[in-house]
Amino acid sequence: MGFEIKRFQGDVDEELICPICSGVLEDPLQAPACEHAFCRACITEWISRQPTCPVDRQAVTASQLRPVPRILRNLLSRLCTSCDNAPHGCNAVLKLDSLASHLVECEYNPKRPMPCEAGCGLVIPKDELAEHNCVRELRALIATHQGKLNDYEQELAEQRLVINEHKRELALLKEFMRAMRLSNPSMRALADQMEREEVVRWANSLARARVTRWGGMISTPDDVLQMMIKRSLSESGCPPHIIDDLMENCHERRWPPGLSSLETRQNNRRLYEKYVCKRVPGKQAVLVLHCDNTHVDEHMMVEPGLVMIFAHGIE
Amino acid sequence: MANIAAKRIKREFKEVMKSEEVAGGTIKLELVNDSWTELQGEIAGPPDTPYEGGTFLLEIKVPETYPFNPPKIRFMTKIWHPNVSSVTGAICLDILKDQWAAALTLRTVLLSIQALLSAAEPNDPQDAVVAKQYREDIQLFNLTARHWTNAYAGGPTVIWEFNQKVQVLQDMGVDEDQARVALSTFDWGLERATEHLFS
Repeated sequence: MGFEIKRFQGDVDEELICPICSGVLEDPLQAPACEHAFCRACITEWISRQPTCPVDRQAVTASQLRPVPRILRNLLSRLCTSCDNAPHGCNAVLKLDSLASHLVECEYNPKRPMPCEAGCGLVIPKDELAEHNCVRELRALIATHQGKLNDYEQELAEQRLVINEHKRELALLKEFMRAMRLSNPSMRALADQMEREEVVRWANSLARARVTRWGGMISTPDDVLQMMIKRSLSESGCPPHIIDDLMENCHERRWPPGLSSLETRQNNRRLYEKYVCKRVPGKQAVLVLHCDNTHVDEHMMVEPGLVMIFAHGIE
Repeated sequence: MANIAAKRIKREFKEVMKSEEVAGGTIKLELVNDSWTELQGEIAGPPDTPYEGGTFLLEIKVPETYPFNPPKIRFMTKIWHPNVSSVTGAICLDILKDQWAAALTLRTVLLSIQALLSAAEPNDPQDAVVAKQYREDIQLFNLTARHWTNAYAGGPTVIWEFNQKVQVLQDMGVDEDQARVALSTFDWGLERATEHLFS
């Protein structure tokens, strides 16, 4: 939309007026055949409604619009105009082509950004500086942030629901795969592979643990203790297909020959100090998983691994 | 009102005021309110037409989206013309509809409406009854239009026969405008007009 004609010094030639907005042409474009010129904003708006020249109704599309000839641009750039901020006291008279650069730095621009000097650190349009109240502005800022925070929290809760839903679906899928495996041998190999990989992934997600006092081992844990360990395993993401087997292996009656009695344990101390142990999160217990301990002798290991519960001494 | 519309209307208003048509008294334009959204136009009936000597008032409403959309214009003075509704004053003129162009102004539009009075388009009618009369009995149409110009637009030509017939119906208690519409519609046949009004 063009410049207000009253801002210009002297008469402006009719040829420099946009027939749509009746202002002085701003960023003009012309129609290809009839060469009628219009402000870019005006002709774009018009063509979006009707693909014709607004003066003579010849067909024109947006892509056919052309820049105006240099002579017209030069005539426009030589026009002398007052500043946009003349109502705010700017007395500058400028050539049209230098208006844009002047506006950027015009001191009379009521919207010029100014830093607040009272200390809140906000940058405020000049004309709002007098009304500016640091506390109010900052409170408003906090309120908007609080609003965003609430939105994010809500989104988080929704995402949690979605994730739980996915987990449930994944469990069903695994169930389905187990059923498939039972009915199809090649599926079984594939599923075994996937399950092994799942165990490895879980094992890698657990922290290494160090047993400082092997003597603190509880080789015959009671049911309550076993339940606690089992829950902890489950929460750490233990693949469900091994959790029961693992828990079975927390009692010395299921341990491998090299560990099965106090006496053999004392004899084999040198061997089980080589175990790669993983921490059962939050518990005085370690996991000795088969996949982590391929280096130890077979009479010291069982599938899928051992659970060793201690009274103390786990780091 | 959108800035661009107000700016255009102000400029066009000045353009009309400075024009030779205003100087010659054939068109006029007045503001109705301060917001430049409503104006009142006035056109003189063109010479050598049944509208000669009459003055026709036009209601002009400027939409927010002017000049991207045309102004809404209708006759406030009743007129007998194929392209103007004899009931509402609505005008059938292409430039006020799909042939509107943003470079048209109030002045050019008023002149176009004036030109429409000189050159009716009976094949693209707004008022089918008037258009039928225009096509079938141009002389009667001219008389009727002249009579309406006299009755509503201050035209000089009095057609006594028509006035008397209107008066007859008025004496029966019929509203004057209704009487004139009925008589005009039935080619000034008093009997059929009466029958129509009282059926």
